[in-house]
Amino acid sequence: MTASGEETVASGENRAGETPQTAIVSTPEGTDEPSVTETGTELERTIGLTGGIAIGVGTMIGAGIFVFPGIAAGRAGPAAAVSFGLGAIIALLVALPASELATAMPKSGGGYYFISRALGALPGAIVGISIWLGLVFATAFYLVGFGNYAAAVLAEAGVDVAGVPVVVPLALLFGVFLTALNLFGTENAAALQNYVVGLLLTILVIFLGYGGLDALGVFGRASTPETFAPFGATPVFTTAALVFTSYLGFAQVATVAGDIKRPGRNLPLAMIASVVLVGVLYVATIFVATSAFGSAALASFGETAIVEVARNFGGRAGAIAILIAGLLATVSSANASILSTSRAVFAVSKDALVPGIAGRVNLRYGTPHVALSMAGGPVLVLVALGEVEVLAEVASFLHLVMYSLMCVALFAMRRDEPEWYDPAFRVPAYPLVAGLGAVSSAGLILFMQPTSQIIGIAIMLASAGWYKYYADDVQLKGVL
Amino acid sequence: MSDDRTTADEAETGPDADPVTSTETEARDRSTDPEPDRATAGGLAIREPPVVLLPLAVLDGETVSESLVEFLAPTKEVLLAYHELPEQTPTEQASLQFEERAREAIEDLADAFRDAGSDPETRVVFTHGRQQTIDRVAGEVGATAVLLPNPTGDIDEVLVPIREPIDDDRLADLVTTLIEGENDRVTLWGLTAEGDDFDPARAVERAAEELRERGVDSATVTTETSVTATPVRDIVERSADADVIVMREGTGSVVSVLLGDDAERIATGAVAPVLVLRDRTPSEAEPDDPSADADASGAAHGSGE
Repeated sequence: MTASGEETVASGENRAGETPQTAIVSTPEGTDEPSVTETGTELERTIGLTGGIAIGVGTMIGAGIFVFPGIAAGRAGPAAAVSFGLGAIIALLVALPASELATAMPKSGGGYYFISRALGALPGAIVGISIWLGLVFATAFYLVGFGNYAAAVLAEAGVDVAGVPVVVPLALLFGVFLTALNLFGTENAAALQNYVVGLLLTILVIFLGYGGLDALGVFGRASTPETFAPFGATPVFTTAALVFTSYLGFAQVATVAGDIKRPGRNLPLAMIASVVLVGVLYVATIFVATSAFGSAALASFGETAIVEVARNFGGRAGAIAILIAGLLATVSSANASILSTSRAVFAVSKDALVPGIAGRVNLRYGTPHVALSMAGGPVLVLVALGEVEVLAEVASFLHLVMYSLMCVALFAMRRDEPEWYDPAFRVPAYPLVAGLGAVSSAGLILFMQPTSQIIGIAIMLASAGWYKYYADDVQLKGVL
Repeated sequence: MSDDRTTADEAETGPDADPVTSTETEARDRSTDPEPDRATAGGLAIREPPVVLLPLAVLDGETVSESLVEFLAPTKEVLLAYHELPEQTPTEQASLQFEERAREAIEDLADAFRDAGSDPETRVVFTHGRQQTIDRVAGEVGATAVLLPNPTGDIDEVLVPIREPIDDDRLADLVTTLIEGENDRVTLWGLTAEGDDFDPARAVERAAEELRERGVDSATVTTETSVTATPVRDIVERSADADVIVMREGTGSVVSVLLGDDAERIATGAVAPVLVLRDRTPSEAEPDDPSADADASGAAHGSGE
């Protein structure tokens, strides 16, 4: 079967004889109207602007504030704030093109969808499959972060673990719990997510407000004077590469594009707002943390450094508040990532790039059990390895490849706009924004550890190999 | 709880009541008009042919009984097959797999309605929010009432609990369309709490009067009132004697936020199916400004005249 002249029909079949499926035929941009499928079935849009921002912020906030400050300060000193700032700028440069593409194609699948439609099935397959694994790495990273907080809670409560390492077992336990919850839970927790994010933001604003005033000397205590970039400029960039994991969430908003009300307005707003919001919080957190303690002391506190900062300001109560916030934030990030992983698997299975069974939905629970297992299963293996920095960097690596290609996809779309291409949001000065986005995303990869780079490249090659073996015949370019 | 039963023809028609809502004022004014737009069904006057929305979780096996199909056949039905999904499942993913089954199930039911002489519209929706979907579709089709299904046998007894001011005009349109059979009886039941401003006696009288005006035989209409602190429980208990309940959708009280809409709570506990009479949403409501009336009524009456 070869591609016909008809450009809007997905074609080709994979090794199992499955062809890409197109479900949605119409997607209104500016209204609350549902999407409509070929046979007239309506798909309700239920996520509003708040829900979209909660997905973005809820995915991102766990890492940047509750896991990285100690590690980042140890590497770059107070200049780690610049590393986080750089990350925010790169994320914004990508969020703008992603917003345009998402409003032109408001369908589930996010970055994979844009790239496969603009650049073709091979780049699509590489991104689609490696983003599945990228999200698996990200989820494992969040879970290890959770394990650290759970262990710190035990320590705070005076539970004696007798020197047994509890971080990884706790992370594994919770990984199993979250996967099971998503497999069998039929309660809609979307509203809960909004409250969790709201509570987190409240705790953080109080903490950073107090800490910020203190750092500026308002309460009359001397803050720790320290060289801004004690280790020079290079660590600022390598740290930016490491902590970029804190910004992976904004593109997750695009993966639920099919469920968002008024996507033409809400998608760009939710993506840009969530990046700006967490970016400001991250930079403020590093500023406050490095003012309270020296970088070296902060680094010695490890993943839960921010708890010690809170203890410094608010005593035991402050420490407990931040511990609770840390638990909530890492859980919310891990859970959001599991859901995104499952959606990423569905997106490639719908296009026949992986066996269709991966997208099956269980009627009894109404959940995509295969895709969720493909998220939760490998996560547990990675959690068991327990390597926070490698997990974070590989996750960032695979996402950055997708971000870079999304910017390229924007060029491909704009240069020769197809008739259907009618985004509600257009990137201003797009060659500049998308060009900088593509180059800076790819450039950040160069500052990662060799181990992470090798693992990332291996995953991409394996994805390409899988495509050649399994779905070489599938055509996706230009298919809506 | 005190009962005070009278039949409609004994009930005094009180002095014209204070208008409670602008919609109601409109309805009352129009009822004294010569009614150029009156349609008739079985000799009874229908002002606005009622549209009934039937939301059914068909993939969970939800359907309506044969007797209910017969009972609802005189109205215009919109059969809404919905499937509510947990948030971890994209609607598109479920639709790829289950759309066909949902469509078959709802078409089977549509055939039953067609056999009963009706011509229903069918919709299939995959959603993460059942209530949002029902509200949206009800607004789009201008539904007069939404059915909350429960099993039922032959339908003769229609129970209309009235706990707050009700759009008599809409109620009359629906009830007049539905009660065709010789054995059909309507009970208008006003409920109020001790010390409540709402006057149930006057409300049921007004509703009864409206039905009489439409040509419903007075003998088939019973009115009664109760004072009770637990109206929902009373209605659920009483449902055993009724074959179908018609009531207004609850207003957003604190209790309804915590425990769910009254109508939903009643449908969950009751033995009989519940037809929830919808308030006109602002876009459907006939505005006070008479110059805009033509447009608005065209939209609101969409399916009928």
